[in-house]
Amino acid sequence: MEQSGTSTRLADAVQGLTSELVSALRSGGPFALAAAVSAADGPAAVRVVGADAVLPSVLRRTPAGPDDLAVFSGAVRAYPPPPGASPTSVWSHWAMKRTLLRLGGTLDAPHDGVPEHNGSPEHDAEPLATWLDGASWQSLTHQLAVLAPLAVPGGDCAVTRVARGRPVDVARGFVRAVRRRDWLQAAGAGRWLVLLDGVPDTLGLEAGLAFVAQMGCADPRVTLQVEAARLMRTGAPV
Amino acid sequence: MTSTRLIHTVGTGALEWLHAHRDGFRLEQDVDPEVGFLERFKPVGELALICKVLFREGVAGSRQAQLARQLIDHAWRDTLDGGRMLLRGQRIEPLSPIPFEVYLPFKELGYSHPEAEQAFRLNQGLESFHAFELPPTRRLGLSAFQRRFGLPARPPESEVIGRTWLGRTPEPWTVEGHIAYDITHTVFHLTDWGENPDGIPAPLVDYLATWLPAWLDDWLDLERWDLLGELLVVDACLPHPTLDERAWEGFAAAQQPDGAMPAVRTMPQGDPEELFDLVYHPTLVAAFASVLATSRALTQLAHAPA
Repeated sequence: MEQSGTSTRLADAVQGLTSELVSALRSGGPFALAAAVSAADGPAAVRVVGADAVLPSVLRRTPAGPDDLAVFSGAVRAYPPPPGASPTSVWSHWAMKRTLLRLGGTLDAPHDGVPEHNGSPEHDAEPLATWLDGASWQSLTHQLAVLAPLAVPGGDCAVTRVARGRPVDVARGFVRAVRRRDWLQAAGAGRWLVLLDGVPDTLGLEAGLAFVAQMGCADPRVTLQVEAARLMRTGAPV
Repeated sequence: MTSTRLIHTVGTGALEWLHAHRDGFRLEQDVDPEVGFLERFKPVGELALICKVLFREGVAGSRQAQLARQLIDHAWRDTLDGGRMLLRGQRIEPLSPIPFEVYLPFKELGYSHPEAEQAFRLNQGLESFHAFELPPTRRLGLSAFQRRFGLPARPPESEVIGRTWLGRTPEPWTVEGHIAYDITHTVFHLTDWGENPDGIPAPLVDYLATWLPAWLDDWLDLERWDLLGELLVVDACLPHPTLDERAWEGFAAAQQPDGAMPAVRTMPQGDPEELFDLVYHPTLVAAFASVLATSRALTQLAHAPA
């Protein structure tokens, strides 16, 4: 019962954080991660949302506050991928580390509230993307959608290079996800497609994103992906 | 790569079933006027079209060719009473294109009924025939049949393509069952049922080559065998067929030991006539897809480096 209660609390925290992120992306107003999560469930919720927990700062290139970076850094430190973790788990954690460092944060625990130093290069060592070698377009799209936080302007890495090489396959995966009413996967795939060259015009990506947003509006995670895609498409600095 | 043997076997099984159940291709002489005498013509026309494809592609074994010949003879002689039923149907509904559509593949296979032809020519000269409201895909098919018959295509097919769903290349993620059938039939008409793959305009070839894999995947997983079979025909109509291995294996696995192909998921239950009406179409489609895909696989083989 306790487990169930904890799960529900975490789900609520994730939903709350996601909704705050959507509001910030839509309004363009300030976003304070530290204020959007509680001390109890915050780190876990941030780990679930991943690098997107600071998406407004990333897409708008606005600095994140020290309190926000401390919360974000705490989640990175608290939930490293366990041995044998899935590639998506490893990559999602790596995306958080990279984002933290790019925003000027540190991976080290603060002493007396003052960061000791910035992350060293080994913190940023990129995982391998070999698990995507030869992946079917169906599987590729699914994996990319799970790793949607990697789909940010200028976010070059092995996964984005795989995606760039297979725009038609990701577009097919988008079609598949919409047909299956898998709005979260469709939204994640749509976010990737915004960043890719060579997406067939006949896909109707812009209308597709609007359609996914409308059909999947009950889930703020869907809305977050679509808002991210729209911002990248229309105005975020690249 | 999909085994050509597997693709071919689907067709031989389907033809065995169709031949064994050929009495299912029947008209209802005393049908309720509310239903209409022409209601049961469609299966006969589809059978003739598929048999024509089978003879044309030349990939049938001698037993298959013999079964197909017996089937088409049966349909013409017994079901259509040597064409007299077509004339009767045309007299009941002079503006219906159905008797003409059923007649054309028989004519192309060497059967003939001059009186019926005379009726078709007269009725198709009526302005009302051209004003007759039909969905664009059906109108496209009728124009193609007029051309094949030697009549002026009114309107020309090039004018109709843009009115079809496929001709407008809309968002591929909106495709559902009815749209998918419109797509497959547009391709059938544009290619003269697979005979002329060059009949698909280049932008539509690109569109189909790009999105067909997503639709195949979807209807395979939904176990909609009738539609999947038609989509496999579309694949075989493209310049570079994928002969999608997963789709063909799933399709073949759905076929019954006696060759029948269920329309959806598993075989339905019912008396023999009900059962025939439920599975004749997917089984015809299985024969059609198999013949075309086998032919394309052999072509690929012929062009492969030694």
